[in-house]
Amino acid sequence: MKRIVIEPFTRLEGHGRIDIFLDDAGDVANAYLRVPELRGFEKFCEGRPVEELPRITPRICGVCPSAHHLASTKAVDAVFHVDPPQVAKKIRELYYCAHMVHSHIAHFYALAAPDFVLGPTSDPAQRNILGVIAKVGVDIGLQVIKTRADAQHIQEVIGGKATHSVCGLPGGVSKAITEEERSDFEDKAKNMVEFSKFSLKLFSDVVLSNKEYVDIILGDVYYMTSYYMGMVDDNNKVNFYDGDIRVVDPEGKEVVKFKPADYLDIIAEHTEPWTYLKFPFLKKIGWRGLVDGMDSGVYRVAPLARLNVADGMATPLAQAEYEKMYSTLGGKPAHHTLANHWARLIELQYAAERLLELCQDKEITDPNVRTLPTATPTEGVGVVEAPRGTLFHHYQTDANGMVKKVNLIVATGNNNAAMCISIKKAAQGLIKAGNVATEGILNMVEMAYRAYDPCIACATHSLPGQMPLEIVIYDKEGKELDRLSQYIS
Amino acid sequence: MRTLVLGLGNPILSDDSVGFRVVQELRARLDKPNLTLVESSASGLNLLDLITGYDKLIIIDAIKTEGGESGKIYRLGAENLGAIRHSASPHDINLPTALELGKKLGAVLPQQIIILAIEVVDVTTFSEKCTPEVAKAIPLAVSMVAEELESG
Repeated sequence: MKRIVIEPFTRLEGHGRIDIFLDDAGDVANAYLRVPELRGFEKFCEGRPVEELPRITPRICGVCPSAHHLASTKAVDAVFHVDPPQVAKKIRELYYCAHMVHSHIAHFYALAAPDFVLGPTSDPAQRNILGVIAKVGVDIGLQVIKTRADAQHIQEVIGGKATHSVCGLPGGVSKAITEEERSDFEDKAKNMVEFSKFSLKLFSDVVLSNKEYVDIILGDVYYMTSYYMGMVDDNNKVNFYDGDIRVVDPEGKEVVKFKPADYLDIIAEHTEPWTYLKFPFLKKIGWRGLVDGMDSGVYRVAPLARLNVADGMATPLAQAEYEKMYSTLGGKPAHHTLANHWARLIELQYAAERLLELCQDKEITDPNVRTLPTATPTEGVGVVEAPRGTLFHHYQTDANGMVKKVNLIVATGNNNAAMCISIKKAAQGLIKAGNVATEGILNMVEMAYRAYDPCIACATHSLPGQMPLEIVIYDKEGKELDRLSQYIS
Repeated sequence: MRTLVLGLGNPILSDDSVGFRVVQELRARLDKPNLTLVESSASGLNLLDLITGYDKLIIIDAIKTEGGESGKIYRLGAENLGAIRHSASPHDINLPTALELGKKLGAVLPQQIIILAIEVVDVTTFSEKCTPEVAKAIPLAVSMVAEELESG
């Protein structure tokens, strides 16, 4: 059996790796995603005051710290049995919409767009944000930078710090929003609504009007049927901050809608010897291995999953785009993995519109932003929709609020099985009879993975030095046959 | 001249915190006008926001090279970054790309960039402590930064 290793991923983290195993005919037998293990997080948290976790858990990952901050804050609310005042919930949601805007813009323009604006098999040296700007123009580049910075500014004002926020407290937030801040946020939010419209138009002009790209999105290589999970509000519309968690089957029928605190009744975790990352699956359906379809308990999270589980978007512009997407993709749920990029932009539109709504909410400057906790702390679960999918934080404490147990299921964990399946399907569709040795094909395998925008071992901020994209091909005895390296900036 | 000393890393991931520690030490002993000391876990586009508007930038970060000697400090310039594809985060662009992007978009970027990279041992265990080999390198890194600041 031949073995191909893609390590590390381009435009993704420096330590992940895809192993592709070929059979004697040179076709793909199996493909696996391997991630490095970060050790000792539970132990690190144990024995600390639970109200510190909203400041510690965002350090796991430098990418979506605000998602961890809020999931953790909500879990701590639950541990202390305290319900924050309405305005505190609105401030948290406002802050979180700004985070979504920030994160989704960065993903689309820096990571997703290069594959489409420049083409999936284009020269890797050009296939990055600089290449995108060379094509679409410097003005748009400036808009990307400005809109992102505005979203970051809102997070900083509310959160107290730009990346690692400190605003979430059990029972509320640390400070209110002043009228001056509100009015500044409102101006920024208006621009974000416009920029989101522009981004969707760009997607429509560049991707949807190009038959080649539409064929790639709709093709078998990036198609997989699965269950989907995401948070919805009382009207079953997408919500990032609060609500019940809904699961639909591959035909779009609701399987279950549950409260965050009941997640362990719904989800179980399978382990495999070759990776430390567990494989969550739906208990009711069961684990059938790394396979898709109705009989397999594998489910997906992230933007497309959120849209698939919901009945629609709660804001008008996003709703119109939602309808357009499903009519183009041929109905709901959509099983086209690459449609995640489209769904992400529709969510960008929603986040911007919702942000503006909250900025215009009469109650948002109410100074009573906290309910002081008085009950004895015990146990609690907090869930938010992170940019990359459903994020669970579950804490148990002693009567003094000292942490006894921490359990997290992160977005990438939820998607672990699905990512392995998607990579295998893409590899099977693209690699035939040992024909693997072109960068273009390998990038198209990576695109299956990139659609999920996985977050693995993100905390490692080390400069990795000279790290080539390395592809190692082994024959069936495990002997190295060929080694390809490329430096891609 | 405005100078930014930027410690990069993760403060709770063993040796990945080394950049933070060096900056914390510097803060305790340095108080100069036009000098800004920042600890950050930012990368890519966020990093670009941070470094815009300074004339000189000194970055302190962890590095892992093949067969490298633990605690060794490398002094690198922006020209050494050419081959690095992932300066910090999987979800963002790398430092050289961010710099190039900033240039293209007309941002005021530091003319002089110095990177002090410290060879690390463990960046995968959650801990507030560096390994002993890396902890030993901190005083030297601190004096190297001080020298860079003296040299203008």
